[in-house]
Amino acid sequence: MAQTAVVERTPRTESVVSPAATISGGSRITFDNVSVAYGALTVLESLNLTVNPGEIVALIGPSGSGKTTALRAVAGFVRPSAGRILIGDRDVTYLAPYDRQIGMVVQNYALFPHMRVEENVAFGLRAHGAGEEVIRNRVPECLAIVGMSAYAKRYPRELSGGQQQRVAIARALAPKPQVLLLDEPLSALDAQIRRSMLDELAKLHRDLPNLTVLYVTHDQSEALTLANHIGIMRDGRLKAFGESQSLFRHPPNRFAAEFLGRANLLPVTDLRPDGGQMARVRFGQAMLSARNHHGIPADKECLLCIRPHDFRFSRAAEEPNSISGTVLSVQWQGDVQNITLNIGGEEARMTSAPMANPPRIGETIAVHFNPAEVTLVPEDAGRG
Amino acid sequence: MLVWSKPWRLAAWALTVPLFLVVYGLPVGVIVLAGFSGQWNDILPSNMTLVHYSRAFHTDSYDALKASLLTGVLASAAALLCGTWAALALRGMRGPSKRVLDLLFFIPSAVPSVSVGLALLVAFSKPPFLLNGTTWIVLIAHFILISAFTYGNVTAGLARIPADCEQVAESLGARPFYRLRRVTLPLLLPYLVGAFSLSFALSMGELGATVMVYPPGWVTLPVKIFALSDRGAIFDAATLATILGVATMVVLLGLSRLSTKAMVR
Amino acid sequence: MADTALTAAPAQRPNIDGLWVVPPLLVLAVLFFYPLGLIVRASFGEDAPSLATFEQVLTSSRFLDGLYHTVVIAVSATAGCIVLGFVLSLVIAFVPFPGAKLAGRLIDTVIALPTFLVTLAFTFIYGSAGLLNETLMHVFSLDLPPIDFLYSQWGVILAETTVYTPFVMRPLLATFATFDQAQIEVASSLGARPLRIIRQILLPASLPALVAGGSLCLLLTVNEFGIVLFIGAKDVITLPLLIYSKAIQEFDYTTACVIAVVNVALSLGLYSLYRLAIAHFGGRRAGLV
Repeated sequence: MAQTAVVERTPRTESVVSPAATISGGSRITFDNVSVAYGALTVLESLNLTVNPGEIVALIGPSGSGKTTALRAVAGFVRPSAGRILIGDRDVTYLAPYDRQIGMVVQNYALFPHMRVEENVAFGLRAHGAGEEVIRNRVPECLAIVGMSAYAKRYPRELSGGQQQRVAIARALAPKPQVLLLDEPLSALDAQIRRSMLDELAKLHRDLPNLTVLYVTHDQSEALTLANHIGIMRDGRLKAFGESQSLFRHPPNRFAAEFLGRANLLPVTDLRPDGGQMARVRFGQAMLSARNHHGIPADKECLLCIRPHDFRFSRAAEEPNSISGTVLSVQWQGDVQNITLNIGGEEARMTSAPMANPPRIGETIAVHFNPAEVTLVPEDAGRG
Repeated sequence: MLVWSKPWRLAAWALTVPLFLVVYGLPVGVIVLAGFSGQWNDILPSNMTLVHYSRAFHTDSYDALKASLLTGVLASAAALLCGTWAALALRGMRGPSKRVLDLLFFIPSAVPSVSVGLALLVAFSKPPFLLNGTTWIVLIAHFILISAFTYGNVTAGLARIPADCEQVAESLGARPFYRLRRVTLPLLLPYLVGAFSLSFALSMGELGATVMVYPPGWVTLPVKIFALSDRGAIFDAATLATILGVATMVVLLGLSRLSTKAMVR
Repeated sequence: MADTALTAAPAQRPNIDGLWVVPPLLVLAVLFFYPLGLIVRASFGEDAPSLATFEQVLTSSRFLDGLYHTVVIAVSATAGCIVLGFVLSLVIAFVPFPGAKLAGRLIDTVIALPTFLVTLAFTFIYGSAGLLNETLMHVFSLDLPPIDFLYSQWGVILAETTVYTPFVMRPLLATFATFDQAQIEVASSLGARPLRIIRQILLPASLPALVAGGSLCLLLTVNEFGIVLFIGAKDVITLPLLIYSKAIQEFDYTTACVIAVVNVALSLGLYSLYRLAIAHFGGRRAGLV
């Protein structure tokens, strides 16, 4: 797996400028063929995954896909039925959670309600037997990182959800964990606070570039915003893994394309190489150009993956890469306009800027796309 | 709101409020009133007096009050320790062994108190455990009868404290005992207080087993009240009953305030 | 999330953790199960174990009379508790009146008070020289007290109903507190009258609480001792009272043990019923301990 851009920019040396950067040392997380089963029910199947030092890897997937199980296996709360988990070079598969040197932040914050904010943050240090001197220095330092210095004497119930989550992050960072595990950290927050916390997390990682983060979420925008790499899971398996942008632009299979960014997938035939990474395919009567990023062999049936925003209205019907469709619905959503089209029997969604005279329902319109922006995706065995 | 029309609502109240008062208000009222009565030969008592109260705090009734309080505190403390220990130990277990053990700890609550008293009498009147005629046998009886309730309360509490908190504590490096001391027990505190107050109240009112096993020197309040009412001193009995009720309430209310305070934090 | 629920089970640790249960179990074994075992053994006779005493006791008229009274009193009182508890809970929860909250809290405290207090109070209210009789005698110029039910089975049933109704009300009020009031509003808007709402919506919703509370009442009334002892009616002898009089007044321990074994078996049976009821209606303990 390729090292990420972030790690390349800030190699792990002690000369990192930001003082905060020294407070957490990152280690690699390795899933080596990890399976988790409860009786006959396998919730995680042969997961192989590496999170490189200083990298944020997001695991996304629907409920029950095994992403949380994978995270909890790293934390030590579920024991794999097979395989190994390594943090750095240390095999932690059979280690108790308290010996793993991890930091963990969960969805509902789980602050200790009977302790003040500062005691919450000091908890991990005390549990590790740190002296009062260390605690006196370290607690304000961590509260400062998350901007909660003014709230040290409060009780958790006196804080808002966003503030509680900041404290939870400070608490996780305080004992200088080797890795930080974030389990749906923003899903309990309302939309606006979630947005700003997302920015905060991005900033946190800029300040602590060595921190290795495993981030579990069902929200693709969180994953796309934060993660260097994204793993898409379903039914206990890792269905796709890759560098975030590339995974979004060139999804390797139908599920990845649909789950990440809700792509339109049109079944196409008669694949012909067309120089470089490009190819020509047949959709109904139309011949269309697209990127063949995954090198699908000629004549194999595959899917044309077009993101809703990649469709543009064609002025002339003869424009290259043009297909026509019947308008099924038009929805105005303020800054965007969603149009559903029936294109050759397939339902496709397109988004555009709002128009003064949007197409009418039942009208047939022509749309086209830039071949370099769309990708051919191999058809998997099963649907979805 | 189930009943929308005003006349029907008033009718519902007119039926239930007096019912409630007759069923629960009146008994409490007459017992309290009787405690101050010198005579009750008419509709209302006459010759109001404090002599029953003065007797309650100066004769052997006072010893009974002390015995009851002490028994209640000691038995409840022991039951709390035992019940909490058992609940914590069973918490990590799974499967049929857990279900069986859980049932075992609950069974004392299903056995009639008189039978428990009889069993203790039979078992501890002969070697190897010769406890008959000592205060111990009363304490044991109370402990057994309330142990299931403390166990149940603590188990219910453990099921309600957020599992996340403890797991996060563990991920932060807290070893089992540290976690127990700093996270689990503090979170459990309201339930522990609740379990203790329930145990205490049950112990204060226990009659069936106590009447079977009590030694002459350790007469509890309920036994004393029965003895008084049996020989016709019903005003003195009512006085002691009021004191018993008030003492129980004071402890319960005091502890419940403590536990709300702990809960809020 | 589904997978969170699945993974809530902590990782299995080495099995020595199970040993922590030994100390409390040992305490319970010595102080409870050992004595319980001894009365079972004692019920078979002192020297040569036989079923002779069993046969003798179980066919004696005193025992059968006690069993009859125990069952009749328990069943009647439980029925009374369910009816009274349901009505009072309905009004407290759905036709709230000023002080309804206080009434709810009063219920909680009644549970904590000793049962025989009510009997004592009843002496003052319904006794031959009690409030009710004195009032009636004054009003109607009677010479003899007209009301005389206290020192009979009915007195016990009334006292037990009073004492144990809160055990039905507590789970009921807990159920009603979480009940979605909108259901009633929707039903009303659809034209349903209160009795129909009670029958078709509230009664089904409160069934788990009624069954759980009712079976608990049955268990407690079968084992009730204080009320029966305090009322002291000569012809109302229940099993617990029989055990007491055999052991403490007649020093007949073997007979007492036989009756105790029967009583314990009966109440363990009722306890299983109670556990089954709770298990059947889901893990929520319906506000009961």
